[in-house]
Amino acid sequence: MQTKQYSVKVFEAIITNEDEFISFFDKNYVFFTSHLISISGLVSEKITNYLDEKNLKYIVNVELPRSKGRQTAPTYIPENIPEEIEKIKAELPVEEIKLQEPMEEAAMARDNLRVIDTLVRSGQELKIKGDLLLLNRVNSGGSIDIDGNLIITQIVEGSIRCRGNFMMLKASAKANIVFHDVEVDNSYLKERLNRVELKNNEIKITPVLKETSWE
Amino acid sequence: MGIIIAVISGKGGVGKTTTTANIGLGIALNEKKCVVVDFDIGQRNLDMILGLENRVVYDMVQVMDEEVGLKQALIKSKMSPNLFFLAASQTKDKSVLNSKKILKLVTTLSEEFEFVILDAPAGIETGYEHTIEFADRAIVVVNPEVSSIRDADRAIGILDSKSQRVKDGGEVLKYLIINRIDAKMVQSGEMLSSEDILDILSIPLLGKIPEDRGIIDASNQGKPIILDKNSGAGRAYTRIAARLCGEQVAMEDIEMPESGLMHKIKEMFK
Repeated sequence: MQTKQYSVKVFEAIITNEDEFISFFDKNYVFFTSHLISISGLVSEKITNYLDEKNLKYIVNVELPRSKGRQTAPTYIPENIPEEIEKIKAELPVEEIKLQEPMEEAAMARDNLRVIDTLVRSGQELKIKGDLLLLNRVNSGGSIDIDGNLIITQIVEGSIRCRGNFMMLKASAKANIVFHDVEVDNSYLKERLNRVELKNNEIKITPVLKETSWE
Repeated sequence: MGIIIAVISGKGGVGKTTTTANIGLGIALNEKKCVVVDFDIGQRNLDMILGLENRVVYDMVQVMDEEVGLKQALIKSKMSPNLFFLAASQTKDKSVLNSKKILKLVTTLSEEFEFVILDAPAGIETGYEHTIEFADRAIVVVNPEVSSIRDADRAIGILDSKSQRVKDGGEVLKYLIINRIDAKMVQSGEMLSSEDILDILSIPLLGKIPEDRGIIDASNQGKPIILDKNSGAGRAYTRIAARLCGEQVAMEDIEMPESGLMHKIKEMFK
């Protein structure tokens, strides 16, 4: 026997008015593509046809088991749709919605992840389409040009051009780093491993691993 | 079959030729048959440092073109019966070299000698590529300064992509010699330490050679410094030659300035 356990997001709705239900789903269709829709109430053929057509997964009149401590999900009240959307938005982890498309890209890129453990010497150039995990150093005069995500665990003294979602680098005072055509001020790369990403068109640098001292 | 060792550096003036001469002589003094070949065509220097300037009659280009036999062109050193020298051509330029001729030359030499040491020209052009093409090992000479290290790094990169051994799926083993180390400057942090250099180049260390004023005089007189047992550089080359001959010689820490009573007494008499 093969078994698997995983969690699904469920959107619960009790239908009182068909048209309003459909217009609500039309507007917020993207939110529900990764949800299981549990509907009850006035479930007509029109609604099931609509959901089939949209290729959404749904169940009708099923009492789902709930984990302890969780209250019954808010029922769908057609009178105040905008508020309801806001509420759903607030409830759903915001980043997940935002990251949905980049996540897919990342998943695609992961298929061509390369792991390299030799050092990049002066004059050598790595041009990579996918992601790269480099377990060695980039020497002065060496360069990396990458479209995907980049993690380098050792010091960088050469140049880096990265156009991925993020990169993680060790503090590297001599490096020349350009992330999405913006030069990264490497005085901000201070720790053992720092995450560099683009948020709202601004480069954000957050320390991931602190430098360990053995004293 | 002997082993073919290329002495490379990338940057010029770091002590490649001096190192070649001293290592060659050191190996010969260890009773191994050794030939040193100057690959710096058009700018030969090794003959002067070995003190064989006036004995060069034929050069390697004439041997490769089969104008003269190898035996005629090889010069036996007076310093050791095991050391032979093959001069570079001073009049021709690097374009005369081609892979086929070089392969034939180095193969013939490696049948006759236990060690074939090739002194590469500075830079990374065709002359350099030809030197490393058929090498089994490489000795990388650097000075403890950033430009020398970057150039050596580049030279290693080319070695790793263009040598015949690598093309055949093998590997050219590389060893590092750090030349002209000034203990005081390393201690004060002005000079890169050998740990830093090894970190950057990540190849095994063959030896460290201290800065030595005697080297200039030794080169001028054509007597490699390895013959001077009182010089720090000479002793360092002796240790390196022994390591190349397979002996286990501990690394001496030349980065710590000499201290203690004996040193102070020595200083007084200087």
